[in-house]
Amino acid sequence: MSSSPPFVSGQPRPRPGFAPSANPNAAVATHNPQIGRSPPPYGAPRAASPSPFSASSLPGPPPPFASRPPPQGAAALSQGLISSNGPPVAGLASQRFPPPPPVQQTAPVAAPASIRAPPPSAAPSQAPGVQSFPGSPPAVAPASLPLMGSPASQSFSRPPPTHTPFAGPPASQPPFAGPRTSQPPSAGQPTSQPPFPGPPTFQRPFAGPPSSQPSFGGPPTSQPPFAGPPTSQPPFAGPPNSQPPFAGPPYTGPPTSQPFGASPTVQPFTGAPYAGRPSSPSYLGPQSSQPFSGPRTAATPFGAPAWSSQPRQVAPSMPGAVQAPPTMFGMPPSTPGQSMPAIPPALGHSSLAGPQASTPSKVDPNQIPRPMPSSSVILFETRQGNQANAPPPATSNFIVKDNGNCSPRLMRCTMNQIPCTGDLLSTSSMPLALMVQPLALPHPSEEPIQIVDFGDSGPIRCSRCKGFTNDTPRDYYCNLGPDGRRRDADERPELCRGTVEFVATREYMVRDPMPAVFFFLIDVSMNAVQTGATAAACSAISQSLADLPDGPRTMVGIATFDCTIHFYNLRRPSQQPLMLIVPDVHDVYTPLQTDIIVQLTECRQGLEQLLENIPSMFDNNKVAESAFGAAIKAGFLALKPTGGKLLVFQSVLPSVGIGSLSSREAEGRTNVSAGDKEAHKFLQPADKTLKTMAIEFAEYQASCLVCVDIFITSQTFVDIASISVVPTTTGGQVYYYYPFSALSDPGKLYNDLRWNINRPQGFEAVMRVRCSQGLQVQEYSGNFCKRIPTDIDLPAEAFLMQIDSNKTIMVTFKHDDKFQENSECSFQCALLYTTVYGQRRIRVMNLSLPCTTMLSSLFRSADLDTQFACFLKQAASMIPVSPLSQVHEQITNLCINILHAYRKFCATVSSAGQLILPEALKLLPLYTLALAKSIGLRNDGRLDDRSYWISHVASISISLAIPVVYPRMISIHDLTTKEDDGSPLALYIPLSSEHINDDGIYLLENGEDGLIYVGNMVNPDTLQQIFGVSSVDGLPSQLVLEQFDNELSKKLNDVVNEIRQQRCSYLRLRLCNKGDPSGMHFLSYMVEDKSPGGLSYVEFLVHVHRQIQTKMS
Amino acid sequence: MAEDLAVGGGGGAAAPDPDGPDGVRMTWNSWPRSKVEASKCVVPVAASVAPIRSSPSLVVLPYSPLHCKPPCAAVLNPFARVDFAAKIWICPFCFSRNHFPPHYAGISEANVPGELYPQCTTVEYAPPPLDAAAPPPLPVFLFVLDTCLIEEELGFVKSAMRRAVGLLPDQALVGLITFGTQVHLHELGFADMSKIYVFRGTKEITKEQILDQLGLSASGVRHGAVAGAPGYPKGPQANGFHPSTSVNRFLLPTSDCEYTLNSLLDELQMDQWPVEAGNRPLRCTGVALSVAAGLLGACNAGTGARIIALVGGPCTIGPGMIVSKDLSEPVRSHKDLDKDAAPHFHKAVKFYDNLAKQLVNQGHVLDLFASALDQVGVAEMKVAVERTGGLVVLAESFGHSVFKDSFKQIFEDGEQSLGLSFNGTLEINCSKDIKIQGIIGPCTSLEKKGALCADTVVGQGNTTSWKMCGLDRSTCLTVFFDISPSERSNQPGIPNPQLYVQFLTNYQNPEGQMRLRVTTITRTWVDGSNTEELVEGFDQETAAVVLARYISLKMEMEEEFDATRWLDRSLIRLCSRFGNYRKDDPSSFTLHPNFSILPQFIFNLRRSQFVQVFNNSPDETAYFRMLLNRESVSNSVVMIQPSLISYSFNSPPTPALLDVASISADRILLLDSYFSIVIFHGMTIAQWRNMGYQNQPEHQAFGLLLQAPHDDAQMIIRDRFPVPRLVICDQHGSQARFLLAKLNPSATYNSAQEVVPGSDVIFTDDVSLRVFCEHLQRLAVQS
Repeated sequence: MSSSPPFVSGQPRPRPGFAPSANPNAAVATHNPQIGRSPPPYGAPRAASPSPFSASSLPGPPPPFASRPPPQGAAALSQGLISSNGPPVAGLASQRFPPPPPVQQTAPVAAPASIRAPPPSAAPSQAPGVQSFPGSPPAVAPASLPLMGSPASQSFSRPPPTHTPFAGPPASQPPFAGPRTSQPPSAGQPTSQPPFPGPPTFQRPFAGPPSSQPSFGGPPTSQPPFAGPPTSQPPFAGPPNSQPPFAGPPYTGPPTSQPFGASPTVQPFTGAPYAGRPSSPSYLGPQSSQPFSGPRTAATPFGAPAWSSQPRQVAPSMPGAVQAPPTMFGMPPSTPGQSMPAIPPALGHSSLAGPQASTPSKVDPNQIPRPMPSSSVILFETRQGNQANAPPPATSNFIVKDNGNCSPRLMRCTMNQIPCTGDLLSTSSMPLALMVQPLALPHPSEEPIQIVDFGDSGPIRCSRCKGFTNDTPRDYYCNLGPDGRRRDADERPELCRGTVEFVATREYMVRDPMPAVFFFLIDVSMNAVQTGATAAACSAISQSLADLPDGPRTMVGIATFDCTIHFYNLRRPSQQPLMLIVPDVHDVYTPLQTDIIVQLTECRQGLEQLLENIPSMFDNNKVAESAFGAAIKAGFLALKPTGGKLLVFQSVLPSVGIGSLSSREAEGRTNVSAGDKEAHKFLQPADKTLKTMAIEFAEYQASCLVCVDIFITSQTFVDIASISVVPTTTGGQVYYYYPFSALSDPGKLYNDLRWNINRPQGFEAVMRVRCSQGLQVQEYSGNFCKRIPTDIDLPAEAFLMQIDSNKTIMVTFKHDDKFQENSECSFQCALLYTTVYGQRRIRVMNLSLPCTTMLSSLFRSADLDTQFACFLKQAASMIPVSPLSQVHEQITNLCINILHAYRKFCATVSSAGQLILPEALKLLPLYTLALAKSIGLRNDGRLDDRSYWISHVASISISLAIPVVYPRMISIHDLTTKEDDGSPLALYIPLSSEHINDDGIYLLENGEDGLIYVGNMVNPDTLQQIFGVSSVDGLPSQLVLEQFDNELSKKLNDVVNEIRQQRCSYLRLRLCNKGDPSGMHFLSYMVEDKSPGGLSYVEFLVHVHRQIQTKMS
Repeated sequence: MAEDLAVGGGGGAAAPDPDGPDGVRMTWNSWPRSKVEASKCVVPVAASVAPIRSSPSLVVLPYSPLHCKPPCAAVLNPFARVDFAAKIWICPFCFSRNHFPPHYAGISEANVPGELYPQCTTVEYAPPPLDAAAPPPLPVFLFVLDTCLIEEELGFVKSAMRRAVGLLPDQALVGLITFGTQVHLHELGFADMSKIYVFRGTKEITKEQILDQLGLSASGVRHGAVAGAPGYPKGPQANGFHPSTSVNRFLLPTSDCEYTLNSLLDELQMDQWPVEAGNRPLRCTGVALSVAAGLLGACNAGTGARIIALVGGPCTIGPGMIVSKDLSEPVRSHKDLDKDAAPHFHKAVKFYDNLAKQLVNQGHVLDLFASALDQVGVAEMKVAVERTGGLVVLAESFGHSVFKDSFKQIFEDGEQSLGLSFNGTLEINCSKDIKIQGIIGPCTSLEKKGALCADTVVGQGNTTSWKMCGLDRSTCLTVFFDISPSERSNQPGIPNPQLYVQFLTNYQNPEGQMRLRVTTITRTWVDGSNTEELVEGFDQETAAVVLARYISLKMEMEEEFDATRWLDRSLIRLCSRFGNYRKDDPSSFTLHPNFSILPQFIFNLRRSQFVQVFNNSPDETAYFRMLLNRESVSNSVVMIQPSLISYSFNSPPTPALLDVASISADRILLLDSYFSIVIFHGMTIAQWRNMGYQNQPEHQAFGLLLQAPHDDAQMIIRDRFPVPRLVICDQHGSQARFLLAKLNPSATYNSAQEVVPGSDVIFTDDVSLRVFCEHLQRLAVQS
């Protein structure tokens, strides 16, 4: 793992193979201590606050247990697993234990607070593990965290009285409480350690960071529970809610991760790219840190709850999986942790005791539910015992074993149990949708998708619905085995796997598979040249040539444009390219029939030379106009015979020719300020020209399919709302670099381009989702060309120019019939596409989920990440067509309706004064708030930024959806001192300005941008180490992160690279200084703050609570 | 009588410089006074004018001319009456009295300025340029190359181009456009790589669009004042000056771009767009020419520029298309045109008509070099070429000497030089009672109406001023006059026996200097019905040529016009009017020598390609007519009635009758029909030659005899543009048809019994000259 530094140095290979090495683990072990540390912040004193959590844990639990393996047993299993993992695991485990205790402690406290926010802790730790896939785009770990994020619950520390309700749980807490005394923890640990061989490591952490210790103090007590599983568990079991809280603490305690060798966190540092990535950590970080700094130990919450929950869920999947991990140490072993988090919610709802809305001020911000990272790796079996397993959070780090259902990476549902009736679904107010990311990158240690070639006869399909086999034998009979299954079932991937690929036969082709054609279009108008955008694009392309697939099937072409379009004939006897200018930008054409697109092998040299020359050739260009529309039209014409990818580098507002646009920005501004109700019109395309053109590009079965990706390297308004129509319709993507800087952006440009070219992708794709009778597809949404379905009886198909590993398509369903309880509802997604190597394939993904008539089951099985991604996309699609206030209202109502449904039908037990959150959805309010404050939903942003946000979100994957609205923030001035605590990425800080100090430097990343905030009192030494300048005033306005020869700088670079890997995106770093506009920009990401445009988190919770109460009465 | 006529024809052609120093020949040198008389003359009163004909005796005056007071504005000339004492001259046209300006103070009987010398009826003024510092504007040569050619032809074009580039003056500006399915405009001034603007062939494109798309539109030009396109005050470089806004990206001095051009030519390939089976290649000649014209539109006004189009096939797409790409559709023929069955013809003509207007506005020339076995659309393009005064050459291959040598001539200096000049304007002044109907020839009416314009219009009329974007030393215009005496002048007793006509030609000579050529001629009025005087003043050669030009025009302009019939009638009327005969007695008929050859001219004209168009394609007809209209009278006569010279042992080379009887086994004949030159070996001569006698020392004389016609042919070829096609053939050979077609069929298969051995017969039903004359006599004397 250490070998893969993907994005780091501009050139990394796209998808480094994942090669977990034994060493890393070892390293991990040592590092684990760090993990323990992260909590340092927890002040022992805080203990009080945590208590609320524990209290909250109570209600839900019982039912869940019933359905699943008995909690105790589960717990036992988990432990067993851990032990099996071997020494390293043990070490980790020990650490975790410590945390739990704190939780318990907190629990008691929390109770008083009344707020029962779900304890997040455990989950977070897992996430980090997941991320570890090197090349793969970072799975968004964070999602998982949220669930665990119980810590948030802590925040509502206030009314002790509420505790009473929690009383039940408190019992469990007490035990922990004892441990609270921070110091003792160490002692406690030892006890826990016993179970786990490698205790020494644990101790370290505690010892090292005094501050953390306190929190650990809690753990010791908790550990005992674990150690003696049965006993300890009971307490946890009882208060499932409390478990969540523990999740929060996971950092310290991230018990889950630890058991597995805690490797996840460690790995990152060791240089294992994967490990680092988990975005989830970021969430955790903040929370934990806060609590610590403050008196309470957030830590407490973690440990305990997490564990208990884990056992249940995990248990099933774990057994087999666990053993595998040891070998691949690099990989985060702990599936359990992750799966668990999901469960806990199921167990119960966490009630945020918002006693009375009238007393909001008493809510303790540190106790509110917040996402918690997990750093361990989860091993997930998609089916077990002939039942679907609920997937781990999308943001967590997990390894999938496909034994009947497809990997959740490829397809996951907003709920893991399907309501039997449409009424049930509408009662719950939750959406029923699938998020399909058909070419999602697998975890490196997952088994590759098997390819089945039936030869000429093609795949076997159902004659009625055209579904692809799970079982439709023909000459294909086989005896049944004693268990009633075909004997060969396990040898036939199509019979035993959730996902297989069939080699398509001729009948699936309307023509020969298209070659891999890449056509580059570069803006060379005056602005583009002068800002360096042209040079950056040329250099990026030039470097990327090496990454294009080899062979005669790879063809390239290039054109530049200003107010005219310049093609280049690359096949010339003299080697000297010939520039062919198409000056008619109102009615475009290609200047040559052939030779514009040439095999790469034939023209590589000439092309490289040309790319080198272009910037100087246009050096004196005084043409300020840009014929963007005409240029892509021309590119399309050039690609017409073959189809292919059009990669456009655009820098200014298209001002001439087809589809030229006017600068609507100024107009938009005045309208916004005037409160014009039509303001959102400016987020719609200016006219239909580009749309019409894009549809032409996408005409399926026409002679060609062209996919357009646009790289906008601009310093001005370019009207993305209009431009983005082209990529979104053709299955492409918009990349936005604003304001473009020739100094700092070329790196990102290159890496984005490289990934665009290299990522797993397919052309000429058609996707169709089929489902069991009872449901029907309602709509597909994402970046593709929507066709009007010609046959009303059939669900429409989605036609995609191109599909790649990043693209996600949302499919919504509606009931048209009822399901039998206990039956299963199946979904099958078939994707027909052409690989870059020209093979036509059908990828078939199957997902079968149980049906239920119980609303509580629905809530228990809700998948927050998926649901939220769904909301996000729905919100994005609404923005351009509805007034902003209406969008805000709608998303808030979505949240309220769901919570209300839960409150009304599932949580009647608790007192009316409490805000009760379903465990699985406890972060929904936070995310909803964050969404309301996100760029796309603010009206103070630039039109382009908003439009970009909208188009970006439309095809975003689940794992990246969360950080887009709820970014991850970590402190970097103290990276070196945090060294021993685990992955710095796991230590994220809540997005609240309270947590930003003037002497600190913070990094906030949302998967695209990384903002580095520099306080105005930062230690000059730190500045010197990181930026090479001695004072804040000396900071450059454009940041190029250099690696200086010092620990801190190296560390920071490692962290940044790790993030880049996780996100599969080359983080664009920008400096934000306190006091100037960039600082304000940074602060606008502090979604928990009260802002001109919205409530603070606490206020929002109160608001939600009030709304629910109103509805109830 | 036929014999007499034939001999006379030969003699006429041999006369020394029949055009005289003025280059003006008139059908009638004595003009009837009245309209009625004029119409009785049958042959219109017309003058063939060679405005800038080179003449050794030409006087060039280095100062500005003196003009009569407006509106007359005639220039001082030898026919003005000068009062040396009073320093006054009286204009012969309007009789105004003009004072000489102060700098003529020294004038006296003994000290007369050049323009007043009696023999200097033609003078040229070369006033010093207004801005002595500015170099004269350099001519622009914009080449437009067809690339839809087979490899071999493309090779020929390239080598012709290379030679041309080598011959161009260093300072001349050169541009290059190539076209096939699309138009490629080469930006020669772009150093980094070959840069080409591509225009689609299917879409008509306006000048404004072109300039806009090339970044040369008004605003751009304003800033980018043209560095090298001289002639115009170039202030210090304007703000925002940038070369990219200047047309000089495309037009470079030869010296700067010779290398670029040559390497471009080296790399030039056939058009890359695929040609489907059964189809013609897609060729967008029309758009290519539009682009060329548009580009030149960015040049400074007053810059002389030529578009030199080398076209190798028909335009099959876009504006100017003459035939579809489908090979199953043949290119239009005269028959199609007659039946209005040429679907693209009128659209194409309209397109080229507009192009012509644009070019005339800009003062630029279109030269057309069409080389193809099939038609390329000369008939449609004719209007653009002729209106701009362009050159035209029609050959069957770019490898043929007709093209190669003609093309070379354009660029040659010295004796061979055509003296290509630009931006000519012709103005005509004449005595009262004379009006101008119009001009046939390579010019365009500037629509400058005045009192001198006649009601009836012939050719480019309704004006007293014409534009000749391109003209050269041999350029010739036919001016048609109308005699319409005013009431007052009809009053007897006005003693003015002389009439005057003055031609003022402003032009830019090959060196770029502006010149004014002034030719003033005088002729006499003939009163009443004084046939005698009229006959004396008749010029039958000019008359034949004018008639040929006139009916050519009528054939084009008037549907259902029967040229043969019209000619016959005119000839009969003429003969009845001016012949000497007794009524109804054909045998008594005789003609004055000044008329004697005219029947023969008419006979040949009736049989010529100008009237008998159905033997030719519309392209060829257009080509022949364009040359007929722009050549001098003596050359045009040859087109109508070829000259024939006979070489034999018995006598020195002598003109022979243009009759099949001239063929003899032991003779060599040299036929000059202007467009082709045929050397025809009699059977015996051919046999001797085949046996190689000419190589034997004892038969040196035979060798010389063989050589003589070749030498003479070369002499003719050298002086002629376009270069005629040289055909060498033997009696009874297939190529002999080039001779036989021109001969008077006095012996046909019907009269075979009379044939002398060694002579020949022509297989035709056409009447012979003898029969023609017999009929003429009979009809002329009918009462």
